[in-house]
Amino acid sequence: MSPLLDVRDLRVEFATRHGTVTALDGVSLRLEPGETLGVVGESGCGKSITALAIMGLIPMPPGRIAGGSIRLDGEELIGAPERRLRQLRGRDIGMIFQEPMTSLNPVFRVGDQIAEAILLHQDVSRDEARRRALDLLRTVGVPDPGQRIDAYPHELSGGLRQRVMIAIAISCQPRLLIADEPTTALDVTVQAQIFDLIRDIQDRLGVAVILITHDMGAIAEMADRVAVMYAGRVVEEGPADAILDSPAHPYTRGLIGCIPAIDPALAALDRLPPLAEIPGVVPPLHLLGQGCAFADRCIEAVDICRKVAPPLTGRGHAVACHLHAAAAASEES
Amino acid sequence: MPAPAGDSASAPPLLEVRNLSVSFPMSRGLFGPKRVLQAVRGISFTVGRGRTLGLVGESGSGKTTAAMAAIRLVTPSDGQVLLEGRDLMALDERAMRAERRHLAVIFQDPYSSLNPRNRVGAIVREPLDLMGIGSPGERESRVRELFRLVGLRPDQMALFPHQFSGGQRQRIAIARALATNPALIVCDEPVSALDVAIQAQILNLLRRLQDDLGLSYLFISHDLGVVQHVCHEVAVMYLGQVVEMAERRRLFSAPAHPYTRALLESAPSLDRRKSAGYRRKAAVKGDPPSPLAIPSGCAFAGRCPQAQPRCRTEEPEPTARDGHLVRCHFPVG
Ligand SMILES: Nc1ncnc2c1ncn2[C@@H]1O[C@H](COP(=O)(O)OP(=O)(O)OP(=O)(O)O)[C@@H](O)[C@H]1O
Ligand SMILES: Nc1ncnc2c1ncn2[C@@H]1O[C@H](COP(=O)(O)OP(=O)(O)OP(=O)(O)O)[C@@H](O)[C@H]1O
Ligand code: SF4
Ligand SMILES: [Mg+2]
Ligand SMILES: [Mg+2]
Repeated sequence: MSPLLDVRDLRVEFATRHGTVTALDGVSLRLEPGETLGVVGESGCGKSITALAIMGLIPMPPGRIAGGSIRLDGEELIGAPERRLRQLRGRDIGMIFQEPMTSLNPVFRVGDQIAEAILLHQDVSRDEARRRALDLLRTVGVPDPGQRIDAYPHELSGGLRQRVMIAIAISCQPRLLIADEPTTALDVTVQAQIFDLIRDIQDRLGVAVILITHDMGAIAEMADRVAVMYAGRVVEEGPADAILDSPAHPYTRGLIGCIPAIDPALAALDRLPPLAEIPGVVPPLHLLGQGCAFADRCIEAVDICRKVAPPLTGRGHAVACHLHAAAAASEES
Repeated sequence: MPAPAGDSASAPPLLEVRNLSVSFPMSRGLFGPKRVLQAVRGISFTVGRGRTLGLVGESGSGKTTAAMAAIRLVTPSDGQVLLEGRDLMALDERAMRAERRHLAVIFQDPYSSLNPRNRVGAIVREPLDLMGIGSPGERESRVRELFRLVGLRPDQMALFPHQFSGGQRQRIAIARALATNPALIVCDEPVSALDVAIQAQILNLLRRLQDDLGLSYLFISHDLGVVQHVCHEVAVMYLGQVVEMAERRRLFSAPAHPYTRALLESAPSLDRRKSAGYRRKAAVKGDPPSPLAIPSGCAFAGRCPQAQPRCRTEEPEPTARDGHLVRCHFPVG
């Protein structure tokens, strides 16, 4: 099966006052139809830039795609004319962002905004578009859709606004849905509702999802595969279970270890042990050196880590770590 | 509440809040009817010496307002607050200022809570300046000591807030909160804006400071995992009321209120796997009601999976058994 999305060696640079920085350094991702890829990592590691690059929305300048390829169903998107990209966005690729208030237009009624998205990509009448907008509001579980269709965004709660965003995103039955922190601004009970809705839509439309999140719990329940990013690189990639149960990269291990999990075993303890820590902070892009970007914070780092950036190696479950590569090599021999 | 460890039987608890209510008058245009927003509705709790009471609940449930009213930064419309037995509401401005040195606050947003134009050394020193504590030389050495205490270097005192990362800024905010050697620190979502790796560092720091200095925390969070890791007692708020309150182990192992149970079910967890067929069912539907139009009966009835007709008409009274308080007609267990 050829992948729905095939990102290879993607490199994105930004011109900054510190000179040119590399925000994405050789990012590769694959996504099969209907599959969910979770993308995790600390703030600034390049999750959103990856999403923007796929949608052809990197601001240029200051940004620049300095290399690599992005194929959707075999079609190369890098260098594709803006007209073609606009056609793909909203029709083949739907998007949901963290704060729906900034992506919805505050001065238009939500029904009109959904209808507009439909009219942009489909040859239907205004009445038909409105009828479909109503259906979509019902599909995404907005109560009283007949009334809510004429509401302005600020008249809706955060959860309802996110449902409207999802209605727009799926209005043209996309093959790929990119959700960038879709529930970060929402309360957990509403978060659960939105995840439930995304799974539901996936079952019905067979859409593939890229779920960007910093929440490993969301990864566990939503993702088939996971890409862990650090400082503009994918440092580990593989099936969700493999990543969660046997993380190989010291960064992934650290990330999972420092989560204050709600664990029934802990509920019985008189005093909880301190959380595991990853020392230090993510280095700013302009201070990235030659070696592994994580070396400064890595308790396992050896000499070579500070000199050479480790490549992402391994099939199925891939890891970018010298120690892991050495261990895998000795296992093979 | 069981008498918290460390308090002798006769000594009053560090902080005792009785029947606290806060409402905000809302203007509804020139001629509209006068409305009142009931943010906090008759809540009671105690914080023992060296203990942490967690306040959890969804956005708008009144956590911040309750905590701010408890230290008289917001004026309550009703109720009593006793700090070591002293009635804070009865104090005049001058006497209240003298009590301020025992109280401190750490806010969520380490970006906006520090004045960007001041050097961080001066920011940490400011409470000492304002309250005229110590000579200039003593203040300076106290600030140095505080920087070390929170894991910063004294040579960083001359820098400005923007030269620090989010986690470091939160350390600065903690150092500032500690300056006057307070007994109680209100921590309002102190790690919500931080990446999980940095969050773990700050949570461990707060716990270590508590052990070393005997601090008490009133700890606000919407993240139950975080709450489980730092709190001794937990109060769950819904629409301005405490609907359940218990010792941490009790609350997490035997939650009795349907809302607490929904929160726990909705919380993400690494063990709930998509690969194992897990599907997070939205435990409750819809959004919380508006505090401008408090429903009659139980405030949670509209969303409660267990609601009976009685719940919609009759407001449940809080009942306590073995220090476990629940406000529900049909508690579980
Ligand atoms: N317009 C820009 N100019 C310069 N650098 C940029 C620009 N946009 C993004 N970057 C840099 O690219 C890097 C990746 O940013 P990105 O927004 O993808 O992070 P992220 O992983 O989505 O983080 P978050 O979790 O905070 O959303 C960051 O270091 C950021 O500073
Ligand atoms: N100064 C104010 N004037 C009017 N209404 C207010 C004021 N402060 C808070 N409120 C309202 O009181 C209610 C409780 O707010 P509060 O900020 O205490 O909730 P919270 O539980 O801290 O929520 P969050 O998790 O979003 O911080 C909300 O409906 C809020 O809009
Ligand atoms: S009183 Fe009724 S509606 Fe309220 S929480 Fe209990 S069961 Fe649910
Ligand atoms: Mg982002
Ligand atoms: Mg608050």
